Amino acid sequence: MSFDDTAIGGPQGQFPSTQVSLLDAVSAGLVGEALERVVALYWKPVYRFLRVKFGKDNEDAKDLTQSFFAGALERNLLGQFDPAKGSFRGYLRMAVERFAANQHAASEAMKRGGDVRFVPLDEVDIAGVDADEVFEREWRRQLFGLAVDDLRALAEREGKLQHFAIFEEYDLSQTDRPTYAALAARHGIAETSVTNHLAWARRMLRGFVTERLRGVTPGERELREEMRRLWT
Amino acid sequence: MDLTDGIVEHLRHAVSSPDLSATHFELESEIGRGGMGVVYAAHDRKLDRRVALKVIDAPIDGEAQLIARLEHPAIVPVYDTGILPDGRAWYAMKLVSGARLDTYLAAAPSVAERLRIFRRVGEAVAFAHTLEAIHRDLKPQNIMVGQFGEVYVMDWGVPAVAGTPAFRAPEGSLDIRSDIYAMGALLQFMLPDGASPALRAIAAKAMQPDSAARYADAAALLADIDRFQEGLAVEAWNEPLWYSLRRFGSRNAVLLWLLAAYASVKFLLFFLKRL
Repeated sequence: MSFDDTAIGGPQGQFPSTQVSLLDAVSAGLVGEALERVVALYWKPVYRFLRVKFGKDNEDAKDLTQSFFAGALERNLLGQFDPAKGSFRGYLRMAVERFAANQHAASEAMKRGGDVRFVPLDEVDIAGVDADEVFEREWRRQLFGLAVDDLRALAEREGKLQHFAIFEEYDLSQTDRPTYAALAARHGIAETSVTNHLAWARRMLRGFVTERLRGVTPGERELREEMRRLWT
Repeated sequence: MDLTDGIVEHLRHAVSSPDLSATHFELESEIGRGGMGVVYAAHDRKLDRRVALKVIDAPIDGEAQLIARLEHPAIVPVYDTGILPDGRAWYAMKLVSGARLDTYLAAAPSVAERLRIFRRVGEAVAFAHTLEAIHRDLKPQNIMVGQFGEVYVMDWGVPAVAGTPAFRAPEGSLDIRSDIYAMGALLQFMLPDGASPALRAIAAKAMQPDSAARYADAAALLADIDRFQEGLAVEAWNEPLWYSLRRFGSRNAVLLWLLAAYASVKFLLFFLKRL
């Protein structure tokens, strides 16, 4: 089953290179901006989580995801988050589950004229696919995807297209990675330059990953925990 | 941009590897992962030797200099420190070959050997405390026993570390007394089944929830261990009479044997004279 049939929630959003934490943004009254960051990073993980967890088809999952985020401001989704009770990622996933379960119950009630029956969530997991794992995996994919887009934009701004091209040919290669010597010959540069270009790209990419994470975590402690989880 | 699982995995690995191009170190391999960072074996090109290079997520600021000042036989010497281009801190240390304490204890060493190791740890902690450096995360995983029996305490004073649950004092703030708590937890961990109740009492006193009820410092804790090893009553335990007598007997065994022998001879002579 493929879940790659939506382009919504992709990399369109561009954010300042230095972000404040989620809670700082909320307390500064920038709830809309904070929510935009959350949507940019979490739209696809939520969509794919709903498809697996609740067995929704593409359109239903899109609608449900859209409804979840569209109503987030009214439900004060960010304001109700308490960092003392766990990570923001865990909180968001639970909120999605509750939201989807309520929607499911409401639609069942309409169908049955009020005879509501909850389907135990675990029973509707698609066989062999762990919804929580899908959520985590998609979150990582989206995080790196956004950071790669940030890197590309930076390379264009700073005229470092060759740096990005080498990074793309090596680190984003779908097949066998070329050797540094082959890349050097292809671009007409020294092998040490290939090493330096890659080092620059990876350093910037790590910075963008950190900034994206900072924008959706409540503070330094959780940011560090998320970073640790990401690299281990 | 949509990335495949394979590319995401590659990026995670490639991006987390430290960029040491501005240093005289060269990565060899990853040798361990802890709560705050990753330890690599690296080659020091300048001095042509192998080192352990730790990269941590937390900033270490002035702490690195403090760690470097901790020159003690039981503290792994720090050779160099710096900040990676991505902001992470690193420091290079002596590469210790040996076993982590938890692994070492699996070979069931004697109580005397366990106390020897604990003493070395305590001496290192006491020394660091005189320089107002606290460890913050004492636990078996941060202690190495080298191939010649040398003991090293590692991972000193990383500010963002709040301790490991089983070894963490209940109070929020970390100070000398929280290191004493961790030493108590470490001693408890190191004691085998059937260890003396006096030793268990020492560990329990160091782990008192009220920090004021613990030993005042590492030296006081070690002094109680000394008392135990010399057969004296320990400060941590109001021992029962039977234990006092047993301890007295054990401590004065030679004297008691001599007295018994003397009494036997006198007794024998008394009867021989009557014959």
